[in-house]
Amino acid sequence: MKLNQVLNGYRVVTRPTNADAGKCLWAFAEKGGGEFFLKEFLDPKIPKADSMGTVEDKKRRFAECERFAKRHTDIMAALRADDVHAGNLVLAVDFFAEGTRYYKVTPRVRPADIAARDLDTRGQLVLLKTLVDSLVLLHARGIVHGDLKPENILLAPARKGPLLVAKLIDFDDAYQAGAPPAAEVIGGNPLYGAPEWLRYLRGDRGAQARSLTQAADVFAIGLLIHTYLFGVLPGYGESHESPAAAVLAGAPLAWDPVLGGRIRSLLESLTAADPRARPVIADVAAALDESDVLSREAVSPTPLPAPAPSTPPPGGGAKTSRVLVNTTKTAPRTSSTRLRINLTGKN
Amino acid sequence: MSQNQNRSGDNNLKYAVDIVLCVDTTASMGPTLENVKQSAMSFPNRLAQEMAAKGRGISSLRLKVIGFRDYADCAEDAMVVSPFLRVPDELDSFETTVNALHADGGGDEPESALEALALAIGSDWETGLDRRRHVIVMFTDASAHRLGDPRHTRASTYPQSIPGSLEELYAQWGSGQSRSALVENSAKRLLMFAPESYPWTDIADDWNNTIYFPSEAGEGLEEWEMDQIIATIANSL
Repeated sequence: MKLNQVLNGYRVVTRPTNADAGKCLWAFAEKGGGEFFLKEFLDPKIPKADSMGTVEDKKRRFAECERFAKRHTDIMAALRADDVHAGNLVLAVDFFAEGTRYYKVTPRVRPADIAARDLDTRGQLVLLKTLVDSLVLLHARGIVHGDLKPENILLAPARKGPLLVAKLIDFDDAYQAGAPPAAEVIGGNPLYGAPEWLRYLRGDRGAQARSLTQAADVFAIGLLIHTYLFGVLPGYGESHESPAAAVLAGAPLAWDPVLGGRIRSLLESLTAADPRARPVIADVAAALDESDVLSREAVSPTPLPAPAPSTPPPGGGAKTSRVLVNTTKTAPRTSSTRLRINLTGKN
Repeated sequence: MSQNQNRSGDNNLKYAVDIVLCVDTTASMGPTLENVKQSAMSFPNRLAQEMAAKGRGISSLRLKVIGFRDYADCAEDAMVVSPFLRVPDELDSFETTVNALHADGGGDEPESALEALALAIGSDWETGLDRRRHVIVMFTDASAHRLGDPRHTRASTYPQSIPGSLEELYAQWGSGQSRSALVENSAKRLLMFAPESYPWTDIADDWNNTIYFPSEAGEGLEEWEMDQIIATIANSL
């Protein structure tokens, strides 16, 4: 696509670029007075009658195109804008082919010029809750976002009031839980990727597609919460290039020392090495609903000593401020098979 | 070694990046070529910085340079091809190779850009490590001769490995399911800074994983364009 080109009624109004997008070109576009984000995919391309390639090759390409289109339209069908939790998902409003190329359109979001760490506690909590609520919907549909990272979460003004909400974008790397794309093409980000994603991508012995579930997103959420609160990822040591690599090696993630016992315990459970040991996203939402979860006490200058790395902390006796963590080896997760984790830092 | 560890004994991802720069060195490229050379020189450092910022350290970075002119004009200096040069170990050789490029000859367009592209596609790409990116970048201000023209192929310097048609070259580039491809589908990218003329628009329309930035004759390699190259590599691994 080119500047000023009109595609399916969308006029390209910025110079197309592939900045922050490895598998597409993108630009902003306008149609009917609305502003949009327009994405042109690099692969696959639709063969035409006079396209290069043999008849057999064109058949294969057509089949590949059909699979590609189905994957995108399936995700669009599964995530509907009228769903109660969909308000902060930036969902595709159009997916079309023109010429030999596929395009996807989402509403343009104009992000606020502020970092999450600079918000007050209430602002941070709203941000985290809106992000987690979006994931509750995705995960309930069996969908793994697959590429959670700050670049895919836009901080935008809420419809009403002065607060910012988290707008979740880019579902191009999303997949059904347990059925990810092949290792050589799976999306994701090394800094926010989960240990099981890392093993799958590397082709480690025993790494299986079915281990890539919603828990991979949950790992990223643990890291994102830290990033939002402190502006940086937790430390993962000089010998590791990512939190996932550190966790796989059994090295502790270095949480900010200000992080208090409750929220620290939550983040430790979210970033457990074993995906089956992590809370489900609904439990994270419940934890964030607890009163004062980000209070000065929870994010305090007197943190509790860190428990052993990459293992869920032992269950405690607190009565209310808890997140539920699955200790079973198999899905589905139910309350009866969960260990209660103390988030209060008190016994 | 635990099952969690890869062969090198740690858990870090190993990225391999191979880049082939195909540079038109005909006389009309004069003003542009100096910009291309300057950008190419700064390229390894900028890429390393960008990758580090994204948490993606490159374990293997190799650069290759193909300078092309026109077999129809002067077959003796129509093509200069370097081997893959490993960075940083062979950075000096890379810089020497780039510095040696100079704009001269070529006569009128078209030029022998498709031969350069064919040599690039047939490179000995890295096949190991955890994830690979194979990038070909084409800089030209001209259209290209059609492949298989006997006026060119009979030149003594004409490489025998070059396919006889654009169709055959397409087969070597391949698509997602093709069996004849010489480049790994998920790894490959072709960036073209080229005018809207044969064969660039056809390739952009038909070949997957191509990014086409139409250029005007005499236009230099802008800072923006180098950003696109780096973004293509850094974001897609």
